[in-house]
Amino acid sequence: MRKSQHKMCTLLFLILSIVSVCCSMGVMADDAILRIATTNDVKSPAFIGDYTLGLFNHLSNPPLMQMDENGKLIGLLADHYEVSPDNTEWSFVIKDNQFWSDGTPVTADDVAFSIQMYGTSIPNAGWIGETLTDTQVDGNKVTFKFNKPYTNLALEFTSYSILPKHIWESIENPNEFTSTGPYVGAGPYYLDNVDLNAGKVIFKRNPSWKGKISDYDTVEISWFKNEDAAAKALESGVMDTYWKYASSYPYAAIDSLTKTGNFEMLEKPTSGLTFLGFNLKREPMSDPAFREAVSSAINYQELVDISTLGYGKVPNRGFVPPAMDGYIQTKPMEYNLETARKTLDSAGYKDSDGNGIIEAADGKDITLDLLIRNSYAREAELMKEYLEKAGIGVEVRSVEDNTWFEMKDKLDYDITLTRTTPWGMLMHAGWATGYFDSRRTGQGVLHTVDDEVFLKLCDDILSTTDQTLLKEYAKEVQEYYAENLPGIPLYWKNDITPYNKKITGWYSNPLYGIMNEFTFTGVKSSA
Amino acid sequence: MVKIHPAGIFLSQKLLRYLLSFFCILLIVFLLPRMMPGDPVSNLVGEDIYLSQSTIDSLRAAFGLDTPLHEQFIRYCLQIMHGDLGYSYHMHGPVFEILISRAWWTLVYTIPSIIIGAWIGISLGARAGFQSGKWWSDVIASIALVISSTPPYLLSLLALVLFVYHLGLFPFKGFYDTYNLQSILYHLTLPTLVLISFYASRNILIMRGAVLTEKELLYPQFARSLGIPEREILFHHIRKNAIIPLIALIALDFGFLFSGALFIEIVFSLSGMGSLMYDAILARDYPILTGSLLIIAIFVIIANITADIMSLIIDPRIRRSS
Amino acid sequence: MTVVYVPSWLKKMGYTPTFCIIILGIFVYAAIFPKTISPYSPEIRFSPYGEPDENHMLGTDDMGYDILTLLIYATRISLIIGVFAGILSLCIGTSIGIASGFHQGWIDDLMMGVTDITLIIPKIPVIILIAAYLHPSIWILIIVLGLFSWETTARVVRAKTMQIRNSGFVLSSRCLGFSSFSIIIHDIIPVIYPVLLPKFMLTIAGAMISEASLSFLGLSDPMMESWGKMIADAFSHGGFIREMWWWFLPPAICICVTVLAITRIGMMYESNEPEMAFK
Repeated sequence: MRKSQHKMCTLLFLILSIVSVCCSMGVMADDAILRIATTNDVKSPAFIGDYTLGLFNHLSNPPLMQMDENGKLIGLLADHYEVSPDNTEWSFVIKDNQFWSDGTPVTADDVAFSIQMYGTSIPNAGWIGETLTDTQVDGNKVTFKFNKPYTNLALEFTSYSILPKHIWESIENPNEFTSTGPYVGAGPYYLDNVDLNAGKVIFKRNPSWKGKISDYDTVEISWFKNEDAAAKALESGVMDTYWKYASSYPYAAIDSLTKTGNFEMLEKPTSGLTFLGFNLKREPMSDPAFREAVSSAINYQELVDISTLGYGKVPNRGFVPPAMDGYIQTKPMEYNLETARKTLDSAGYKDSDGNGIIEAADGKDITLDLLIRNSYAREAELMKEYLEKAGIGVEVRSVEDNTWFEMKDKLDYDITLTRTTPWGMLMHAGWATGYFDSRRTGQGVLHTVDDEVFLKLCDDILSTTDQTLLKEYAKEVQEYYAENLPGIPLYWKNDITPYNKKITGWYSNPLYGIMNEFTFTGVKSSA
Repeated sequence: MVKIHPAGIFLSQKLLRYLLSFFCILLIVFLLPRMMPGDPVSNLVGEDIYLSQSTIDSLRAAFGLDTPLHEQFIRYCLQIMHGDLGYSYHMHGPVFEILISRAWWTLVYTIPSIIIGAWIGISLGARAGFQSGKWWSDVIASIALVISSTPPYLLSLLALVLFVYHLGLFPFKGFYDTYNLQSILYHLTLPTLVLISFYASRNILIMRGAVLTEKELLYPQFARSLGIPEREILFHHIRKNAIIPLIALIALDFGFLFSGALFIEIVFSLSGMGSLMYDAILARDYPILTGSLLIIAIFVIIANITADIMSLIIDPRIRRSS
Repeated sequence: MTVVYVPSWLKKMGYTPTFCIIILGIFVYAAIFPKTISPYSPEIRFSPYGEPDENHMLGTDDMGYDILTLLIYATRISLIIGVFAGILSLCIGTSIGIASGFHQGWIDDLMMGVTDITLIIPKIPVIILIAAYLHPSIWILIIVLGLFSWETTARVVRAKTMQIRNSGFVLSSRCLGFSSFSIIIHDIIPVIYPVLLPKFMLTIAGAMISEASLSFLGLSDPMMESWGKMIADAFSHGGFIREMWWWFLPPAICICVTVLAITRIGMMYESNEPEMAFK
């Protein structure tokens, strides 16, 4: 018995030594690889069907349009576009000298095919299928005709990756198509391999790419299932940068990363924000005076300090942050407990039974049901404290995302905490209208505002592409928010992207951060 | 008279019970995901993407969610009988294929962990129990106790920071970097060691307790008086009895080996069954969730049968009574 | 007969039942009157991410709360969750295990069938399901944790019961005409007790750990401060990245110490004599 155990011990020792040998060999570093850490994980090797892969593949299969660093729409695969006066006919002219990684040129046919394919087979592009009536290709120009006017098509087309027709036309159901690669692409890189087991997507340099090139032959995007491991990986130097859609590098991790001395931080104000939403269909949230009082009860500076660690600022009443095109200056949010109490008092919400909580008209204590997505627990804690100081009772209910979607769709809450994403700020009529317009439902939106004035404003925006008019409407929307407070912005924030000091040439846009073609054609290694 | 093996009799007696439990489980794994709040359709796209009602309706029909629940259940049962676990629109593939590809990787790290954990637990636990006064016995027990009262994610993250970040011995994530044996070993060593420490410490505690009890009973005293060496008493007599409570637990570990270890997978960014199921829960991916729960259920039932049979074989007392 | 892990160095340091009662007493006191021993009120915020110094023995967390104060205030919820979930689970597990192992036959089949089924129901969806319809409270958590953690206890107890139901002393009790109930109480429970005790301890630890894990996944009630939630908060709010061990280790140590103390107290009721052939 003892003998056999000794044998086992020897065996274990052997295994361990083999492993340690492996370890020492595993540390070989390759400098021609740009390594990006993310916490957006790829769930399935479906090029179009997987949500995260759909974000990454802009690198290999550029959409028609993109955003520049100021949020202005510029061409990506398209050189420029024209739109008919009635906004139903859009023509995109494709840039010359672009080639798929298999050597064939990119044509307007590919674009026409891709957009039509999205319309027929991809659920989230269903609107294309429902409204696109005709597609015409003329040389390097492709024209889309719709049965109703579209004004923000150029914006929509920043998210649809263009695919090679000669490959994808034989694929029966593109949304469900899975393959670990390689995929033919026309960007500076093509997608070589999606490896779920290794947890990374590998992009290789497109041999047919004619534009500027970066110093890296390979771009590796590694996804982590938790932020702690990702942050530690950056600190240890095995990753060059961090990217997560609509999110910053964790603020709490910035200090220790800076301390390593190997990283610089790219700080950009973002249009995404965290806000307090009201269920406007219920009393007393439907009362503007009540909302006004709530807005004065919130200590914005403390929220900025705690939630963004100072990488943010106190928002204005106009909701829309300065990072967005068309932003206007409105009055900043102001914390004043006295004002909050007075506003409540003069609006008829009084604490007549002296229990510290104000009563509604029917004499019952006002205790609001604060429904939150579980990632906003800290903010909810503070919110409860702030509102209770002003005499408004709060009960917090924390649920995971999907439950939250269902409950807010059923309007089963009084107030809620959620966030907007850069894309979400632009959707519908833009300037966050998509989050409030009661005619829209789904995922992250609150659809609580059915005020005719607001709805008309949305329709007006949706019916024009005239830039001066749009600027005027943007102003009106923000003034509407400032006056009516359908949602209270809690803080505006900056997105921080850390990057390896030795690498230069980073470029960031408000929509996808550093994930854009300028970055991947511009990064240089100075090591 | 033909002598039937006791295991045979046992199995035939329990068959009905296992069949009935299986049917109940089938019903539960079908209903539970569907009772959860949240909509699998609207969750198919990102939170800032808008789906029109007609798109949602057509997707619902494609998911097979447009019919009444009992019809869905009947269709599901028919599917199962044909060996078809359905299709996942979230994962873009047939459930069976996805489960197989993920389960394989999960087994690569769970099976060694359970086996080594059981081996360490039984041998160390038995010795620690038998020689409970010695200092090393106490050290082992203390370590085992501390590990089993630490949240698994805390221990895993501490291991990550210590061995990966500070000492640089192991990689941060994934099953491998390039697909070869060396890389796989390199990547899986730390997660496996952490998992082993959990299994082993629990087994040590149970085994040690059981040996301590057995050791004071009559039969070891009797054996001692016959002049049988202590070592023999421990390994030939006490261990056999003390192991019985542990068999059920280890069998269950095997039953659950498919579900993987969620926290290990989250900490070491492994795409195994644990995270597949967790994602399926969060995304309300009914086919994946139902399918994986069903497979786990089958394994747990098999594990239970095996545990029953094994205690039957090891313990003559139970065998005679049944 | 000493059962389970009493390291002798601990004994020397005074790991006696009395000592453990005192330790547990301190925890219970902290749970009932946190105000009297905590250095600050749990509502006061200082500057965040503070390192330990003379004003804050364990530093401050991301919101600037004094961590020692949080630790003391978290005792109540943690103890309630651990102990109640542990007791609930132990009661269900033991009764089902004994009933099934002692009676065998169809009762055994029924009980074990229920055990198999309970074992397979995953906790996370059930908690999501309940959280959607009820306001979060620790009692929901206790019931869920208790109702879904008794299966292994039941199986261990059943195996042990089956093993001893035919041993001499049980048979003689039967011959003497004692009722099943009395046999269970007087003969079976004392014998399976050594197996139960580590299981009970593991279940309490398990309940506290599960609560911590659920907090980590964001599925527990964020408004209730427990040791588990403190650890989870340290992870989700940068305590771990900044390696603020004074934030996440103390609650983990508290869980450990509680489990140790409860176990030792449980062992007080064990006899210290070997089984005798002729009494």
